[in-house]
Amino acid sequence: MSGILFLVLRILLTAGLYAFLVWAFLLLWQDIRQQAALLALRKVPPLSLVIQREGGPAQIRHFNQPEITIGRDPACECPIKEDTVSARHARLSYHHNQWWVEDLHSTNGTLLNNEPVSTPTVIISNDEINCGKAKLTVLMAGDNLMPPTQQLPAEEKSA
Amino acid sequence: MSPLLSRDDSVRNPLARFLAPTKIESRLLALAGLFVFLYALALTLSPAARERAWDVNYRLVHWAGFLGWAGIFYFAHRQSKRYLPDADPYLLPLAALLSGWGLLTIFRLTTAFGIRQALWLTALGLLLAFGMRLAPELRFLRRYKYIALTGGLLLTALTLIFGANPMGGGPRLWLGCCGVYFQPSEPLKLLLIVYLAAYFADHLPLNTRLLPLMTPTALVTGLALILLIAQRDLGTASLFILLYTVMLFIASGRKRVLIISLLGLTLTGIAGYFLFDVVRLRVDAWLNPWADPTGRSYQIVQSLLAVANGGLGGRGPGLGNPGLVPVTHSDFVFAAIAEETGLMGTMGLLAAIGLFFARGLRIALRAPDQFRRLLAAGLTAYLGIQSLLIIGGNLRLLPLTGVTLPFISYGGSSLLTSFATLLLLLLISSQPEDEPAPLRQSQPYLLLAMVFGAGLLAAALTNTWWAVVRGPDLLTRTDNARRAIADRYVQRGALLDRNEGRITETVGRPGQYERVYLYPDLAPVVGYTHPVYGQAGLEASLDPYLRGLQGNPAKLIWWSHLLYGQPPPGLDVRLSLDLRLQRRADQMLGNHAGAVVLLNASSGEILVMASHPTYDPALLDEQATALTQDPRSPLLNRAAQGRYPCTSLLTGLFAPTVGLTLRPAAPPNAAAVELFDALGLYQAPSLPLPVAAASSPAELPLISPLQAALAAAAYSNDGVRPPPRLAMAVNTPAQGWVILPPLSEPVQALPPESARRVAEERLVAGKPYWEWVGHDSRNGSRLTWYLGGTLPDWQATPLTVVVLLEEENPSLATYLGRRLLEEALNP
Repeated sequence: MSGILFLVLRILLTAGLYAFLVWAFLLLWQDIRQQAALLALRKVPPLSLVIQREGGPAQIRHFNQPEITIGRDPACECPIKEDTVSARHARLSYHHNQWWVEDLHSTNGTLLNNEPVSTPTVIISNDEINCGKAKLTVLMAGDNLMPPTQQLPAEEKSA
Repeated sequence: MSPLLSRDDSVRNPLARFLAPTKIESRLLALAGLFVFLYALALTLSPAARERAWDVNYRLVHWAGFLGWAGIFYFAHRQSKRYLPDADPYLLPLAALLSGWGLLTIFRLTTAFGIRQALWLTALGLLLAFGMRLAPELRFLRRYKYIALTGGLLLTALTLIFGANPMGGGPRLWLGCCGVYFQPSEPLKLLLIVYLAAYFADHLPLNTRLLPLMTPTALVTGLALILLIAQRDLGTASLFILLYTVMLFIASGRKRVLIISLLGLTLTGIAGYFLFDVVRLRVDAWLNPWADPTGRSYQIVQSLLAVANGGLGGRGPGLGNPGLVPVTHSDFVFAAIAEETGLMGTMGLLAAIGLFFARGLRIALRAPDQFRRLLAAGLTAYLGIQSLLIIGGNLRLLPLTGVTLPFISYGGSSLLTSFATLLLLLLISSQPEDEPAPLRQSQPYLLLAMVFGAGLLAAALTNTWWAVVRGPDLLTRTDNARRAIADRYVQRGALLDRNEGRITETVGRPGQYERVYLYPDLAPVVGYTHPVYGQAGLEASLDPYLRGLQGNPAKLIWWSHLLYGQPPPGLDVRLSLDLRLQRRADQMLGNHAGAVVLLNASSGEILVMASHPTYDPALLDEQATALTQDPRSPLLNRAAQGRYPCTSLLTGLFAPTVGLTLRPAAPPNAAAVELFDALGLYQAPSLPLPVAAASSPAELPLISPLQAALAAAAYSNDGVRPPPRLAMAVNTPAQGWVILPPLSEPVQALPPESARRVAEERLVAGKPYWEWVGHDSRNGSRLTWYLGGTLPDWQATPLTVVVLLEEENPSLATYLGRRLLEEALNP
């Protein structure tokens, strides 16, 4: 009899060990799912670019993807038909709750508010980006993450 | 957890409310507590299951350890909730599970060690809990790296002078006083990792070339290595080389580091093989453990036997025999766990270690700065490598390195290192809101994870191999002491004579069964079963029945193995021997060296088989050596194993029966060979006993008295030579007595009329039997043969007797043969 009772205990013991492990792995799995859900929920604030080519009309384009490549190549998210723009000229990307601009080793360089861009730099609404002879104005309409102090001049300009 | 998680989402995910780190931690700790509680409960009840009774001494001391363990981890959990609420929630429960499991395993192995381990655990648990208040930046470690490392090296160097070994002999790696011992090379591992992490974090941004990075660190590591080698602590030394390699590889990301280190390790290994006896011994024991299983590879073979005995489900806490493996509480604790919880348990253990490793690497990758990232990676690598080294060593996957299994093995220094690692990892992981430092290369981390994963997989497969595939074969090895231990817990079958008189039986109660030899004079035939000297005679050849592994229903055997890891109660075997006649033969033979065989001439049943001088198997403990060296060979069963010249018998009785003449000095001609073969003189009789090897037909046969008796039986049985029979029946639980068939067929050895004529010619006047007496000589000493038997037309049981005396004494031989025949004919 003692042997049978002990066998039941042994089975419970093994079950206890695997309960621990299964629970741990279940939580890990749920954690991954939750992280994925969180990342999916994280919205990219929409961004608009006013594109001014030399001698051409101003053109406005709206984006809601987290990465925008600017270049002469039609495969870019924001293609610009302009000889002074390199095939893949610059990139705008959203991470760390900010939009960033970086130069992709373009021939004619990228300027942000007339300063050359050498490292990835944070951009805010109404910043001006020059790619070759094309001028792009950044507009972050309806961006509720923007601090109000920085939104003020934007309202002035648009007014 | 985050404002971005909508209410919707938590409804959809039923487990979401458990995902807060402190919730995960408390739930997992509760499950770990349940497991350890069940383990403790099983350990308490184990004596009852072992002795198959309720009236036993239950194990209770380990509950003190359990309470200490539970209290300390509850406190640590409270502290971590308060000071490190965002720390990794898996580490503390995993450490609790492993250390609780280890603590109870040590209690189970040696209670005294268990108490010490419980004290260490309580003290270190308090340090862990209070250590959670430290600032998680760990600046002090980074700042004082040289002081810490120098201190560690100095302490280790001190063991060269003041070293001691608490277990007596062996390498003196401990510093100790007043009963408390401490092994400085354990924390030295941590200090080396801290130093390397700090040094690489300080210098990497400035300099990514390998040589400047290596020079000072290699110097310091080399210094530590020299110290360890001087101490003969080669397991730790190889761990240091591996750790240095991993740290340098992770910091620099250069693959050539791995190649150089691998080459270096191989070269060191080869050099060590030729320079150090310890290394050679361990490598030899690893490559071929079966060559010297009782000597150099005793540990590893016993470890594999423990794993094999565990099998799939394990014997249960307290029910295995892990104490058979030397140093099972520290180096071989994995073997003990494998025996008692089986493959299921060790798979869980490997999974827990793997989970700890995965969380450690995750902490490293998410660490907010380079120093803490390298530190976390180094600590994780240390735990992983050390676990794999010793588990692989226990399973003969790797050569044995004398390192401990973190969190589980006995030892305060080892536990200190494990808990310090745990604390540092918890501190590093406690600020998940900080952005992780940029990662230059992810490849070294991925490679580390892959190598560790492959190592775990290899360990799991090896474990399966030994526990399930090779296990059943391994357990039948004679150096598996578990068989002898099972004999004390399971009643072995008795050996009975033909009237069910007891010859040998087992008495006592579970745990104290003892074999009693009621008729010791039969020792050369019946043999013995002994925990040290093994088995002999019928005890060996009938072992499967006596041990209950044959004759019992397969289901019963399986069930008994599942419950106790032991065979079911053994079965009684009835022999053909007649104790009354046997006793007469032994009395008459007395101190004369020789043998007597009396058998039923038609059925071949052996009624008497005596061999003198004899011995008492109950006295083997005192006399074994003397017995094996005794020139009179009392262990030899002369009746079946003796090989005696029988020229007188061949020329005087056998050859003339069919009209052959034989020249004693020359090889026998074809006709003689045919005759002797028919009489069975060139064949070993088929009997469940060791018998003499058959002679080659190119010469005159040397025969045993048993062969002579079988040949003589043909004269009493119309020329038919019967098959010998000794084991008659076995008493099975399902069908009662089941007859064991003879092992060979009867043979028509002589023409019936010639046999009849010779028997009548040799008739003893006034008696119903014939007889023949002759002399031979062997190595200058004389032998006397006496053959006798009933006449073919005898109406009752036909009998044949053979007496062989290792002296010239025809009168004793004749007296003995006649008396025995008459006693058998007229009971």
